[in-house]
Amino acid sequence: MNPKLYLPIAATLEKVVEETHNIKTFFLTPSSPLAFLAGQFVELTVPGVGEAPFTPSSSPAISDRLEITIMRAGTVTERLHALAPGARIGIRGPLGQPYPLDLFQGKEILIAGGGVGLAPLRALLFALFEDIGKYKKIIVRYGARSPEDIVYRQAVEKAWNKADALDVMTTVDKGNAFWTGHTGVVTSILDKNKLKINPAAAVAVVCGPPIMMKFTTLKLLEIGFDPDAIYLSMEKNMSCGVGKCGHCRLGPYYACKEGPVFTYRQIMDLPKIWE
Amino acid sequence: MPKWLPKDNLIKFINQVSAHAALFAQQSFYGHYHLVPVKEWQVDKHTFGAYRPFEPLKSVFFPPRESLGSLFQPNSDKDQPDRIVFGVKNCDLQSLRVHDYVFLHSDPIDPEYSRLREKTMLFTFDCTDCLEICFCTAVGEQPFPKSGFDINFSPLPDGFILESGSVRGETILTKCAPLLEEATASQMAERDAQRQNLSQRIARQATEKGLKPGLDFQKAVRNTQESALWKKYAADCVECGACNMACCTCHCFLLVDGLSAAGNNDRVKQWDSCLYRNFARVAGGANPRPLRAERLYNRFDKKFNFFKDKLGTYACDGCGRCIEACTGKIDIRDVLAEALHES
Ligand SMILES: Cc1cc2nc3c(=O)[nH]c(=O)nc-3n(C[C@H](O)[C@H](O)[C@H](O)COP(=O)(O)OP(=O)(O)OC[C@H]3O[C@@H](n4cnc5c(N)ncnc54)[C@H](O)[C@@H]3O)c2cc1C
Ligand code: SF4
Ligand code: SF4
Ligand code: FES
Repeated sequence: MNPKLYLPIAATLEKVVEETHNIKTFFLTPSSPLAFLAGQFVELTVPGVGEAPFTPSSSPAISDRLEITIMRAGTVTERLHALAPGARIGIRGPLGQPYPLDLFQGKEILIAGGGVGLAPLRALLFALFEDIGKYKKIIVRYGARSPEDIVYRQAVEKAWNKADALDVMTTVDKGNAFWTGHTGVVTSILDKNKLKINPAAAVAVVCGPPIMMKFTTLKLLEIGFDPDAIYLSMEKNMSCGVGKCGHCRLGPYYACKEGPVFTYRQIMDLPKIWE
Repeated sequence: MPKWLPKDNLIKFINQVSAHAALFAQQSFYGHYHLVPVKEWQVDKHTFGAYRPFEPLKSVFFPPRESLGSLFQPNSDKDQPDRIVFGVKNCDLQSLRVHDYVFLHSDPIDPEYSRLREKTMLFTFDCTDCLEICFCTAVGEQPFPKSGFDINFSPLPDGFILESGSVRGETILTKCAPLLEEATASQMAERDAQRQNLSQRIARQATEKGLKPGLDFQKAVRNTQESALWKKYAADCVECGACNMACCTCHCFLLVDGLSAAGNNDRVKQWDSCLYRNFARVAGGANPRPLRAERLYNRFDKKFNFFKDKLGTYACDGCGRCIEACTGKIDIRDVLAEALHES
């Protein structure tokens, strides 16, 4: 039994990288190593302010330094964004279930991200890279609102595309004078002919705002994905993160415990899942 | 074997068992029994209550506001004294199935609940009277415990029939043997008749409200999600959260951070209410249940559908506290009866 189930350990904020006007990546050193698997999340505490759930975006292979990419969205995230390197915050976890990588083996993997939703998918990519030979192909489709809203700009555009087995494409809802890439919402780059994917031998992993997840899921079903092969990160209100407080209930599940990743099959019959 | 505690030995019994334990008992004031801590048993003040008290039993294991400690401080090993709650009624006892499921039997174990639960003995009592709002018979219960207690007391005019329901309880009965006799067959028969009378009375009053024993509330709730009935009842809801706070089975809470009196950053586990607008709201303002009707439905869905699947029982034991507490005078019996009627 963990006597400090609801209390965080300390972590030092080492570095902050500004990704976009409202997204920053926080580099943290926990006071003792915190090993997580891709898809699991942590709760970060701003002392005296409160806690909120986030998914590490760094490699799960590294447990003594974590990167977490956070969008400014309200009370806790506002205070996180105001912190400077050296600050002490709290971290609690890992929480929730990881992506079932064993089920992904031998398959083509389509990763679809929207906005800050690329963060957990980045950790997944790192995990896949560790064992890249086990997967047939990795396709990343990322949508951001505008070129200024693209996270991990460096990584997305350069490093990721260099890996042989990787096919990365980014789209923006609205371009600017310098944007030469694709323009349109993320579903517009999920066209069956252009994707070169065999849905029967593939899995799709989706993370982004609810509206993006909804339309991406519909598109994936349309191009032939089975509801069992679509993995969705469900954002629910969370407090305890360990299946006790009741906040994150999604039908018969607690998203913090049985999730946050669900197959579409698990939740497709529940009412109002996209809200 | 059931024992008999003559009335004259009661105080000796209480003094003996409470020598090394902190006590809770019932006290009658403002027209209710209240669950109170007892420093020293006072005959004119402390009782076992004839029916359940105003405060739900959960507050003994899962306090309304509980400090979990300061951030980044070493654990202060709390020395938890043994405790005994006198006069627990069956509805409250049954409510612990929900809390045990959530806090003890689902991984990970909640350390605070576990510590308090382990160190607390439950001395239950048959109800000898009921409130007009009691309806335990409609949810498959009865006004006396069958299991889950340490010692159960069945009051008769001249004394009490005592039965142990745990090893701890049995040990106490053995230690107190000089105060006890064997219960006789006629005492047992008198007790059974008393139990049956009250059960029938409650079944009658619940049936008058449309809730006869054996109804399928899970089906009723499942089949009425789209019904206008939730909107109708929710029109009277003022989102005070009293139904959740009063309820002996509601287990939801919120972790809250703030400064303690000593100036530390403390974390507190605090009861929360699913009727509050922001209960399920996420950053950016999206809300899966923006309407009060949806939140009222959610409360019933959790109690009569979710828990029925998880636990095999409803997360409602018919204590009637939410009826008593509701600012909007929403009566759970009416809501259930209407859902049954529509399903
Ligand atoms: C599993 C998971 C992983 C996530 N990963 C990431 C990630 O990697 N990066 C990222 O940027 N985001 C992530 N999020 C989203 C992130 O958790 C939210 O953006 C964050 O919780 C916002 O907190 P806030 O205090 O800044 O926002 P706020 O909107 O101020 O607060 C959000 C919380 O406070 C409650 N609240 C707000 N106002 C009120 C009020 N008036 N009364 C009562 N309650 C109120 C809300 O219900 C909610 O619980 C993730 C979410 C989940 C569930
Ligand atoms: S829902 Fe109402 S009647 Fe049922 S256990 Fe809770 S307070 Fe008692
Ligand atoms: S007690 Fe009544 S008014 Fe208050 S939140 Fe519950 S249903 Fe609404
Ligand atoms: S966050 Fe508390 S139950 Fe899921």
